Amino acid sequence: MSSENVLEKLNSKYEETINIAKKGTHCGMCRFDFLGTGLCPSGKKHGFLAYWPQGRMQIFKNLMSGKVKPTKKLIEIVNSCSLCGICDKQCNFATQLRPEKVAKALKEYVEEIDKEELQNIPEDKNVIELRKIVGEEWATNDSIITSSYISSIIAPDSKFNFYIVMPKDAEELSKVIKYANSNNLPYLPRSGGTLLSMAAPTVLSNAFGLEKGIVIDLLRMNQLEIHPESQTATVGAGITAFELQKEAHKHKLRANVAEAGAHVCSNIASTGILSTWGNKYGWAADNFIDVETVDDEGNISYHSDLEIENPYTTEYGFTNISLVPPLIVTKVTTRLNPVYDDEEAVFVPFENIQDAIDLSFKIARRGMGFSNVILSRKYLAEFISPTPKIAEDFEYILEKYLKLNYAVDIICNSDEKKIIEGMVDYTIDKSTLKSLILGCPKLSTLKDSEFMKILSEEKDPLKAIFAGPMKEHFEKALDATPENISKIYDEDLQDFFKKAYSKPEMTNIIWLHEHRIFPSRLMRQRMFLPMGGVIWTEYEKNLLDWINMFIEVGDKNKLIHALGFISPFDQGRFACLEYDFYYDHNDPDAKKRVDNAIIESQEKSLQIDGILSALNFYFKGLYRKEHVLFPIAKAISDDDQELFRELLKNIIGEV
Amino acid sequence: MAKFLSDEWLEQCKKYMYEKLDPEADLKNVTTSLLGVVEHIPPDDSIMNFYLNFDNGKLIDFVVNKGPTYEKEAKFVITGSYGTFKSVLKGEMNLTIALLKNRIKLKGSKVKALKLMKPLDGVILSLKEVTDEFEE
Repeated sequence: MSSENVLEKLNSKYEETINIAKKGTHCGMCRFDFLGTGLCPSGKKHGFLAYWPQGRMQIFKNLMSGKVKPTKKLIEIVNSCSLCGICDKQCNFATQLRPEKVAKALKEYVEEIDKEELQNIPEDKNVIELRKIVGEEWATNDSIITSSYISSIIAPDSKFNFYIVMPKDAEELSKVIKYANSNNLPYLPRSGGTLLSMAAPTVLSNAFGLEKGIVIDLLRMNQLEIHPESQTATVGAGITAFELQKEAHKHKLRANVAEAGAHVCSNIASTGILSTWGNKYGWAADNFIDVETVDDEGNISYHSDLEIENPYTTEYGFTNISLVPPLIVTKVTTRLNPVYDDEEAVFVPFENIQDAIDLSFKIARRGMGFSNVILSRKYLAEFISPTPKIAEDFEYILEKYLKLNYAVDIICNSDEKKIIEGMVDYTIDKSTLKSLILGCPKLSTLKDSEFMKILSEEKDPLKAIFAGPMKEHFEKALDATPENISKIYDEDLQDFFKKAYSKPEMTNIIWLHEHRIFPSRLMRQRMFLPMGGVIWTEYEKNLLDWINMFIEVGDKNKLIHALGFISPFDQGRFACLEYDFYYDHNDPDAKKRVDNAIIESQEKSLQIDGILSALNFYFKGLYRKEHVLFPIAKAISDDDQELFRELLKNIIGEV
Repeated sequence: MAKFLSDEWLEQCKKYMYEKLDPEADLKNVTTSLLGVVEHIPPDDSIMNFYLNFDNGKLIDFVVNKGPTYEKEAKFVITGSYGTFKSVLKGEMNLTIALLKNRIKLKGSKVKALKLMKPLDGVILSLKEVTDEFEE
């Protein structure tokens, strides 16, 4: 039988599992324990992505598409999985996928395959030398293992001329880099891989990914120490935001971190930790006391070293684009912030964005609140809803009946809460928020109900439902219990999710803001590409133009698109905006449309005064924000526009 | 065709630039100088450099030397590994990407250097056309 026929047969046999594997987006939620399930034993032991659920899904996809041939290592990978089911629980919470079905299919595939067909990948000179540095088991050139890194650091159309190396510390990394340099091997570090996986299906793939050489997986650098006396933490490059936050929380401390699966060190180097807590806790170099870094010559240094050149400054201007971090951050001493007993969440719903902006910025400029963000209804719906269908219906209800398009979402102390409540007509209180989280499946069933129709006829439906006579009926109608929300899951997972949603933190708004386990739902079964950047709030009048530009670009390219969030920082001097284009990462036509949207929106962002676009602040997180953001960015000239177009063409090629 | 950084390579590059590049159309009448430092050259991990000087789009100086420095000061100094230059000359990676990926380090203003990329396209093209052999 020809290899094409074999593939055809396999694709027919494993259709369901191939579909699951294809929907994987490398969100990384299977690599840390956010539900108290423990960790995938195989991944924890072996480290390489191939041994984690997300890697198995990628391998299966690669095998079934014929992109890679099975190697002897595949047997070990398959046998290392005990089918314990942890991945199904974690993945189902975030994406509703069942990666264990893929693991089972992979086992079945290996059992049936003629073992003579398994390739033996001989170790070459580079692997031998790299193993001398990191140890026998932590360097490989096996094509099955390297193929698991496709779409999260390796471009989907690359050849398999890669090595994967997992150094345990800065010293080993230094040696790896020196070896790479003297042997002319390109390299790139990888931590969580989410940013790279967002870029992978798009025109940004080659710009952000590695074309050949050494993938340096930093997962083994897992030092984590909390120092309560100095309110700091020492965090290795293998530690995720969630893991740091969880430990900090035990000491009534809080880190400023990105979404749960983001690795703290790499997030500092990439986007400087842009979070909703930025107005109080800062951005970029504000976040750390010291960093241990390795440069591209393999030199290890610390920002606290007296002899180093000023590490906090970078050249200003729209052409200052970086596609890699200036240094590899292997360890950071990060600031932690006290958690107060009287912290409260305040949610203020709005129909109109300008009203939401006015309130959020006013609060920021007065220095109130720990966390301050305007969430779009899309984000609210995606975060809270456990399935894509519920999210869709939830969003429909928010828009059509409740007229809730934006929410100003503040975490503050009790005194500030009183002030904010005095600034607005009404807020969504804690009990209603809890009801929305646990009752969203029920809410989605009310889509065409009489109750919603009556509600939408109210003069101010938001007030009626959140602060008026209908509040009690609404909460009752949602029937919000852990048991009810668990019913939307597959039968075998319902008991688990009933217990999971019974935990107080799952409906604790402050905990959810800190630990950020919901944002991964934006990547469930399809990809999104976050655009946007930073705007000087002095140019607030341009903010709506900026958003409208994204709307036009999204419409023109026939994409699902929506504002994500706007969050002020630095006492309201700046605001970060994220606007998202959503698309099916397996659909080549959708990829083309998102490519066009990236280029068009990037170019048009530069034509607006007071804006620094996302591409201009990537990999600037080690610098002082003042050096990145000052002076105020002005709309670029036609000549510069031409230059930028040329630059973009060089970065991403012709589209 | 010649081996990167060899005497023959230098001569062929010069000839190509004199004969095939138009100062206005290809080199945009650029006036600048560039020192390219090539590190980690196999087999003995050595360093070489090449110096290019243009006046109003005309090549007035092009030399290859051993070591990391040259007696004349260049407006821009770019430093990269032999592997990176090889990738650029083989067309696997463009110079802009190499710069933005830190594969090529720049001494001088990155903003100004990027403005030079268009005129330098012709130079890179010449080097690409002439180079067909590399140290392994």
